[in-house]
Amino acid sequence: MSVTPAWAAVAGVAGAVGAGVYIAAVADRAVGATVAGERGRAGRALGGPFRAAALWLVQGRATTERPDARAWALAPALYLGLAAVAVSVVPLTRNVTAVDVDAGLVLFGAAQALAVIPVFPNGWSSNSMLPLIGAFRFIAEALSYEMPNLLALLSVSVPASSLALGDIVTSQHHLWNVVRIPLGLPLFLFAGAGLAFWGPVDLPDGADLGGGTQAETSGAHLLAWTTGRLAMLFAISAMGAAAFLGGWLGPVLPGAAWMIVKTVALLVVLVSSRHLVARVRPERYVVISWAVLIPLALVNVIVAAAVSL
Amino acid sequence: MTSSPLLVDIAFWFFGVMSVVTGWLVFRTDSMVRASFFLLASFLNVGVLLLLMRSEYLSLILILMMAGEMAIMAIFMLMFMMNPAGLNPMNMVHQHRAAVAGGIAAFVALAGIGLVARFPDRPARPQPVTEALGKELLGDSMLVFESAGTALLATMVAAIALASSRGRYGSAYEGSDAPPLDPDTRTADAPAEPEPDEHEGHAGMEGMAGMDHGGDGGGDGGEGMAGMDHSGMDHRGMDHGRGS
Repeated sequence: MSVTPAWAAVAGVAGAVGAGVYIAAVADRAVGATVAGERGRAGRALGGPFRAAALWLVQGRATTERPDARAWALAPALYLGLAAVAVSVVPLTRNVTAVDVDAGLVLFGAAQALAVIPVFPNGWSSNSMLPLIGAFRFIAEALSYEMPNLLALLSVSVPASSLALGDIVTSQHHLWNVVRIPLGLPLFLFAGAGLAFWGPVDLPDGADLGGGTQAETSGAHLLAWTTGRLAMLFAISAMGAAAFLGGWLGPVLPGAAWMIVKTVALLVVLVSSRHLVARVRPERYVVISWAVLIPLALVNVIVAAAVSL
Repeated sequence: MTSSPLLVDIAFWFFGVMSVVTGWLVFRTDSMVRASFFLLASFLNVGVLLLLMRSEYLSLILILMMAGEMAIMAIFMLMFMMNPAGLNPMNMVHQHRAAVAGGIAAFVALAGIGLVARFPDRPARPQPVTEALGKELLGDSMLVFESAGTALLATMVAAIALASSRGRYGSAYEGSDAPPLDPDTRTADAPAEPEPDEHEGHAGMEGMAGMDHGGDGGGDGGEGMAGMDHSGMDHRGMDHGRGS
């Protein structure tokens, strides 16, 4: 275990999150434009995130009648911070991890579970109807995302006999977990999209609620909130790459390059789901989660235990 | 993980004081929602104290569990309270005399233990705590924890059976009709029927239990929310928040 200086760890996580958010935003625009049939506008996708950010920054912030201003302002900051915590435990290569703890998997799970909390004040604090419904809807469904997500994540610790992410990547030396524990990655990504409320499971901020918890947000607040959501998607992709796709393992290229390629691939898959897959209805998702996804996740843990005997 | 003792001391005092301050704020705020989140903050600070004692796994699992738990607790409190969505201010302190007496008694008892008990003065030697914890859970303490786990699982199954839309009281949506477009009719599906008004006061409770809330509540407030919800999502979801 190499000791990283604190400033280097913070700078590394900030840089990774910034790059991840930018790539996710570009991928979102590019896939959206392709699906909509627009062609030959790659330059627009590359510059799009900066234009959107600049527009949000110069926009005035609209407010509502008697909001809880402090909790409202805190929500996007907390969400972005928790996404950064989740990113910080994922190893880039064998020797480069921002926060190298023995229970890295649990720290990631704790950051994901805590990220449910800021979504509620983001909707509740604005004192407005649609954001309020989005906030309550998210808390009501939070366990339906958390359970399959955590169970799928825990399955990778069984073959590695460890909760440290370095050991988990090393344990995939012969066979990646995506092959060894085949149900893990799809379950993890689907439930992870739910925790970052993206694509088919964008329930608290969905279009049926006029934007849900972000319906009343504008300007810098909306920029921070969008950044946080993309950062959370990036954290999920990075963890998926490390836990299921063998992390830095791979031929020819250096380890860091493999990790980046795998992370970006998962990120594009997650981001594209918004344009390619229909939204599920909230109450149907709960039934799907408890009747199908959670039992499958338990089966997945048993499979992981069986293959590592 | 090596840290200088001074940093650990500073962190201990910071998070210790923060956990007390946020615990105090639970009772000073005027909102159930804010109180829940202050309580969560207090627990999270305790979680960091566990981390300072090098119980990494226990600390993280405490934080992980508390996050979901407090959110769900907040929602349950709001559901059972006559304070729609926790938006109205309310007093968080009740029964002052009993509370003061209980508080003083608890403080004296805990402070007494703190003064009398013998604390170890040597730092624990670093050892794989997570592994030791796993051996304990599957070794000497297995019976206790497995019994508790089975009891909790049974409770969860029972709670889901009660709350399920196809639970023991039949379909939750039976008798729930779309709200009227025309104020003279009771519902969009059925024409107006004269009905005694004595159930009107219980509309909120019945809506919460998911039973028959369209039948007698067709004409009350909150139709904006209920109407939007019915048109989009087929009788489900948030339409229990009718005005009170």
